[in-house]
Amino acid sequence: MLPVLIEGGGTAGITAALDLAAAGCRVHLIERSNHLGGQVLNLDKIYPTDHCAFCPLWTDIRRLQADPRVTVHLSSQIESLVETEEGSLATIRTTPPFIAPERCIGCGACFDVCAPGAVKPPGEHVYPPSFRIDNDLCNRCGSCVGICPSAAIDLARKEERKTLKVGQVIRAAGFAEADLKPLPEFGYGLHPDIMTSLEFEAWTAEAGPNNGGIVRKSGGGRPANIAFIQCSGARDDRLLPWCSAVCCMHALKQSSWVKRRDPGIDCCIFYTDLRTVGRDYYAYSRQAVDKAGVRRVRGRPGLVHPLPDGGIAVKFEDTLTQKREIRRFDMVVLNGNLRPSAADRYESGMEPPAEACGFAAEPADVAQSAWQGSATAMKALSCDKEGPCRA
Amino acid sequence: MNAPERNDKKPSPRVLVFACRWCALVGADAAGRKKTELPASFRVIPVECASMVEPDSVLRALASGADGVAVMGCHLGGCRFNDANHVAVKRMEALGDLLDTVGIGRRRLLLSFGTAHEGHEFAEILGNFLQELGPLPELTPWRKTLLNLPAFR
Amino acid sequence: MPGVMVFLCRCCGRIPPTVDLSALGEKIDREEGVVAVETRDTICLPEDRAAMLRSFEAGGADRILVAACSPYGKADDVVAKLSAACGGDRSRVRLVDIREGCAWIHRRDPVGATAKAGDLIGMNLGFLRHGKCSADAVVAVRPECMVVGAGSAGMAAALSIARAGHRVHLVERGAGMGGMLKLLSHVYPTDAGAEEKLKPSLQAISAQPLITLHAKTRVAAATGYAGDFKIRLASGTEETNLHVGAVILATGAGVWLPRGLYRYGELKGVLTLMELERRRKEGEETPRRSVFIQCVGARCPERPYCATFCCPSSIKNAALIKKEDPGAEVTILHRDIMTPGAILERYYRSALEAGVRFIRFAADAPPVVSGEGKVDSVAVFDTISGVKREIAADQVILSTPLVANADNTKLAELFHIGIDRYGFFREDYPLHPLETRQAGVFICGSARWPVASGDAAAQGEGAAMKALAILGRERLSARSLSRLPEGKLGHARIEDAFCSGCGNCVAVCPYEACALQKVGGIFVSRVNKMRCRACGSCTSVCPNGTIQMPEHNARAVGAMIRRAFSLREAR
Repeated sequence: MLPVLIEGGGTAGITAALDLAAAGCRVHLIERSNHLGGQVLNLDKIYPTDHCAFCPLWTDIRRLQADPRVTVHLSSQIESLVETEEGSLATIRTTPPFIAPERCIGCGACFDVCAPGAVKPPGEHVYPPSFRIDNDLCNRCGSCVGICPSAAIDLARKEERKTLKVGQVIRAAGFAEADLKPLPEFGYGLHPDIMTSLEFEAWTAEAGPNNGGIVRKSGGGRPANIAFIQCSGARDDRLLPWCSAVCCMHALKQSSWVKRRDPGIDCCIFYTDLRTVGRDYYAYSRQAVDKAGVRRVRGRPGLVHPLPDGGIAVKFEDTLTQKREIRRFDMVVLNGNLRPSAADRYESGMEPPAEACGFAAEPADVAQSAWQGSATAMKALSCDKEGPCRA
Repeated sequence: MNAPERNDKKPSPRVLVFACRWCALVGADAAGRKKTELPASFRVIPVECASMVEPDSVLRALASGADGVAVMGCHLGGCRFNDANHVAVKRMEALGDLLDTVGIGRRRLLLSFGTAHEGHEFAEILGNFLQELGPLPELTPWRKTLLNLPAFR
Repeated sequence: MPGVMVFLCRCCGRIPPTVDLSALGEKIDREEGVVAVETRDTICLPEDRAAMLRSFEAGGADRILVAACSPYGKADDVVAKLSAACGGDRSRVRLVDIREGCAWIHRRDPVGATAKAGDLIGMNLGFLRHGKCSADAVVAVRPECMVVGAGSAGMAAALSIARAGHRVHLVERGAGMGGMLKLLSHVYPTDAGAEEKLKPSLQAISAQPLITLHAKTRVAAATGYAGDFKIRLASGTEETNLHVGAVILATGAGVWLPRGLYRYGELKGVLTLMELERRRKEGEETPRRSVFIQCVGARCPERPYCATFCCPSSIKNAALIKKEDPGAEVTILHRDIMTPGAILERYYRSALEAGVRFIRFAADAPPVVSGEGKVDSVAVFDTISGVKREIAADQVILSTPLVANADNTKLAELFHIGIDRYGFFREDYPLHPLETRQAGVFICGSARWPVASGDAAAQGEGAAMKALAILGRERLSARSLSRLPEGKLGHARIEDAFCSGCGNCVAVCPYEACALQKVGGIFVSRVNKMRCRACGSCTSVCPNGTIQMPEHNARAVGAMIRRAFSLREAR
């Protein structure tokens, strides 16, 4: 059986890779960033158990690295895929980072000498931890090159291409945020405290810049209230017609954590349908509303706009009372603008493409991404003409 | 973020930390990665799960030079060994009762389950513990008695 | 007796000068049991690692101590590679973190940091001296699989495993295969006929010689572990014994009947969703005016969960009714429309476009069904327009949730897995939704959590994939069942002579790996190595230290404790 090509090193891709390797198949795992783990590593906590997912992901990442059947290609993308009589030829384009993660010893000498601040420390829950250079900020002065004790830095690194002969292909590239500019009423970009949910997650993370404290980006004071606006960008023909599936629970989780850390901050979720379909999700939402005191308003705000006093006006209709209001909020979190990362849209069929799993196939949470990874791996194994391989 | 200032007149209290290699060690590691400063008077013993820490080990630690012992594990509900840490919490709390009964005091036993998994949290919790142990009297006479007990191999 | 080879990493000058490695190195070299001490600059890089391996092989030591950085840095990978040189025995290589855990966290106190590093290394030398290795357990793997439940999930699992070349025993308590699909008229979101959807699977299974269907059969008894499960099936008075390598539980869920709600059972024309499906399947004429009520007996205090399928299912039936009869009046009364994702959201919209009416009601103001003898109308407060509505209805369809199969409790006991408070099987959260706390036992479909047939089939395939990791091997080692790349820490071991048979370990083991057995007339504990995950819970509750983790035994831990603060190790 020819090796399986997996696009994406997040939950779905890692699961598919491990499952295929355990069944004796060779795997090429192509990951765009310089580390494995995907979007879940960026989340402070995941629902519904409110833990971070670093440790279980770390374990799976280590297993992948230790498995001789899996070849991980970091900082890489699939440039082209050409079908031949015997499988496919995949051209992989690798943009090696200036700092090679396999040689970085994490000492930070480069960070200390970088004048424009282009060298960034490793992300918090990232494995292996490697310093990174922001290509846009780097002025190519080369001070870091000489000082690196393990000769890990090469500013002249060029793109590389390699061609792989592969059999089945699995698409697991996950999600990305869609630009909210086409929807100016949400005010994104007009005020530092109008953020997307992922930006809010990074801002309020325990491992983040405020050590888990809930503070305003503008001025740093304590917010009196926070609005979580659901379906901003989603269920909207102007941008994303679909429901991003994960945002209702995400908002419930974020607001619960705000209440946990600072019960005095008023949290209000503006929703259309509060979707709590998965395991223990509804019970979680009840905890948020009944115990933690998270408020809900049914209605999608029509306008989010900065106020002269530094606050943010949110204009909405509470559709359950038919009352219209303009309320002042200190922070606004926009939830909803998630699109598949490898394409801008989903195809219009009533069944997801057979070779895709996780968010690449349909908006999906962690559990769905994991089981879909396994299911798609099984399909890949079953589809192979030669039949499955034995361990 | 740095730990509180050390009183140079008295050496910093010695603490033995039993840290589960998941949540707790990730926190300890992050504290180091961030170059947080803590007194050098604690030692970490990584364990597979906090449930692996025998009450006996805590007593031995106190008899062998430790002024305090910390047992750190994962969040309740987050134990990868099927909630083994729930039992560990109960066991350690019962041990706290025992320490009170024999006059050592539960203040010498720090329990942290899921509260030390970030660098600044680990530094704060351990730093505070070291500070709290400072004014407590030394355990020396009791310690010597225990060391002579035949049960302690 | 061979000793320990010690490698100290300078991390290119990021560990010294805070930690004085040269002074430490001399001290360690003088210790009993240390064969040699080598200082290197970057043990994580291939060039240093090759040199380390050469030194180790030439040096005559049998254990390695590496003092370097944290396991969450690069050092864990180094240790894994070094243990390959020790016959793959991870317990012979010990990592001491003197970077994140010492040099970097005590930069202002080089004296203290050096003393601490010395203590840490001394502790771990003591640990290595007393550490023992547990022998791995290796079992022959039975290549056959058992799938319990022949619904969408079970059929998909069985077909996938059979296609991979393994015999499958498909155990079904009912008379035939198909599960919930047999009761449905159509499936969402394709609106295909349920029978059409079912046929290919039924045909494929019948044509698949590797699948043996055991109809009208239940699982009566089960023992064993991953690779080797012994199952006793019961069908009436007949019994069959199976010997399989993996088990997939796909027992589905049951339908809940809303007795006492919305005048169900009282008025003619008030039916459940499943009853509607049956009527439509049998070609019964659909009345003109239908009202669906969602969340009947779901998202309420008794059953605080959303059953996933009811909104899309009502939408399916409502839209189909409208398409068949554009003049029909179809209304769905709901509290939220649960159609997450791209496909279901599109499905919802097309129902709106087809003319299905949606009215939202509040949980504390449920609709009221009226009629005498047969249903007449439904009164509901439409929260979005703020008006009370009276909707004429010929039939009222109640969307009730799926509830856990009553057999799940017994199966959970037989296979030693968990069930949640609703009765669904517990999964290994968060990244392994199809796995349970027992290796070799997998869950899928509505037995795990309510899902519709499409997702159930996908989960069945996923469970099959997991099962194949075991079934595809001829032999399975206990270490390989561990999720950790280095294999687990060995497993608990018992000295029969000291075991008092108290059963504490039996009670506390999260995996039910310990059991009391009669040996020579008395009860002693025995550890099932295939189930043991080396968590160490048992060691903490043993009254006399009989059960130990050899790689992390009491003497080794004792040595660490004694040497922690520069006291001499007691003899």
